[in-house]
Amino acid sequence: MLAITALLLAACGNGEEAADQDLDIPDGPTIEIRGQDFSEAITLAEVYGQYLDALGYDVDIHSPAGFRDEAVSDLEAGTLNMIVDYIGGSQAQLAPDAEPSSDPDEVMEIISEAYADIGATVLDYTPAIDGDAFVVRGDLDAETISDVADMDLVLGASAQCFERPQCYIGFTDVYGIEFADTQTIEFGPLLGEALDAGEVDAVVWNDTAPQIEEFGFKVLEDDEGIFPAQNIAPILDDSLIEAYGDDLVNAINELSAMITTDDLLDWNFETDIEFRESDDVATEWLEEQGLI
Amino acid sequence: MMLAQRAIPRDTTLGEWFTDPQSWTGSAGILASLGDTVVLCLAVILTSSLLAVPTAAYLAHHRLAQVTSAWLVNIGRALPTFAVAALLVPVSLRGGYGFEPWPIFIALVLLTVPPMFLSTYVAVREVDPAAVDAARAMGFTERAVLRSVELPLASTVIFTGLRVAGVQVVATEPIRAFLGGDGLGRYIRDGIGQNNATLTIGGTILIAALAGITGLVFSATERLIKPYGVRRLRAHRKPRSGDADEEPDLGDTDEFASHHGAAVGRMR
Repeated sequence: MLAITALLLAACGNGEEAADQDLDIPDGPTIEIRGQDFSEAITLAEVYGQYLDALGYDVDIHSPAGFRDEAVSDLEAGTLNMIVDYIGGSQAQLAPDAEPSSDPDEVMEIISEAYADIGATVLDYTPAIDGDAFVVRGDLDAETISDVADMDLVLGASAQCFERPQCYIGFTDVYGIEFADTQTIEFGPLLGEALDAGEVDAVVWNDTAPQIEEFGFKVLEDDEGIFPAQNIAPILDDSLIEAYGDDLVNAINELSAMITTDDLLDWNFETDIEFRESDDVATEWLEEQGLI
Repeated sequence: MMLAQRAIPRDTTLGEWFTDPQSWTGSAGILASLGDTVVLCLAVILTSSLLAVPTAAYLAHHRLAQVTSAWLVNIGRALPTFAVAALLVPVSLRGGYGFEPWPIFIALVLLTVPPMFLSTYVAVREVDPAAVDAARAMGFTERAVLRSVELPLASTVIFTGLRVAGVQVVATEPIRAFLGGDGLGRYIRDGIGQNNATLTIGGTILIAALAGITGLVFSATERLIKPYGVRRLRAHRKPRSGDADEEPDLGDTDEFASHHGAAVGRMR
């Protein structure tokens, strides 16, 4: 709903400008984009969606839903023709058997091939990185994940984590951690609440969760390197590229190059701590950058 | 080493999952999850019925709060259970009470009190005034009228309300798995999170089966504890109002229930 309202507002606000640019844009399919259902991904979808809308493309920003699984399967099914994802996450999803890597270019090579198989193209990744983070309370005597191997911690993480070699299975098999217990918690602010309340001693969260600083948590170093590179890349269905050509690709790459990790932190602070709407935060950022 | 988080491969079939003994045992097994779910549901149903039935019966007997209670019931029915529980979780965590059981317990009680209250209120209010007046004429106190006349006559509809609410609790309880809890909903949660249809469908089957069994248990309990006089009443009324047929007709009970069911429907 909000996304649609924002889209309408954005469309209204830029009506004249968009009308001028419409002339250059060939006819083609509506760009169907949807954020995964957590605030950073929602803001990302809004940033890309509103930017392309302002350039004059027909854009439909769907209400946020699901996570990577749903995004990829809806891209494959054609419900969506543009998704935005973390490259390491995409690799875990599409090429689970390939060796995870902390080098984004290696990851890009693997996922470009995998997405090509489902008729999609991965565009340039952002300088912004939002990797997985092993987060503990600030008073825990540890600096690296290896340090906690014998601490009998209770781990809180999302359901996805528990079946992934880059997550729970990596902690137990690579780090040899024996957790006292585990708790499945939906990915999001509840992870921080649970950690703060002492329900769990460690959570698998992401680097750019603003609550990490807010609650005085700390992120332990992934000294064995099980967390893959997690830059962000837009992924387009080939039909969009065929219809709109290099103009669209270049426009998107230009935007991606401008998004930094600090931007992500700022957005997440606005949405998760200040409780502002993702679409407003996205509009504001795009305006600040002079993009709309 | 605990196996609470044993990953289930996506190519596991439903048959394999249900027949693998490992699916049933352990702290994440079906039996433990079933136990979690049943205990919470029983606690909710008991609490809700203790809250709703006496209050509604008392108010209905005295014809009190007719508008207010209808209004409260409607508000109660409009509360989204998941949102209530989700809002309570951080409060509970900050208060040091953990993820469970309070948030989900309170949300489910709020879910079940309105239908229980409504069916009891309507059932007591709709009891044949002639019977109530007859009891009063015989010197029954108001309390005795409620206990010995109105409640027994209303019992069929009250039970229907409890059964409907009970099934609803069992079918809704799985949301706790999405709020840091466990129970049978864990399979749906993990299935969705891990894109594993076997888990999602398996969990759904288990919950649907438990809900179905719950309905049967309520019906059986109703038969066992329904007041003797009410059962006799059903058997005797037909010949009196009808004529030649001396055989008690079991179908009559359903007719009574559906008549009062319609009354419940009207008040909604």
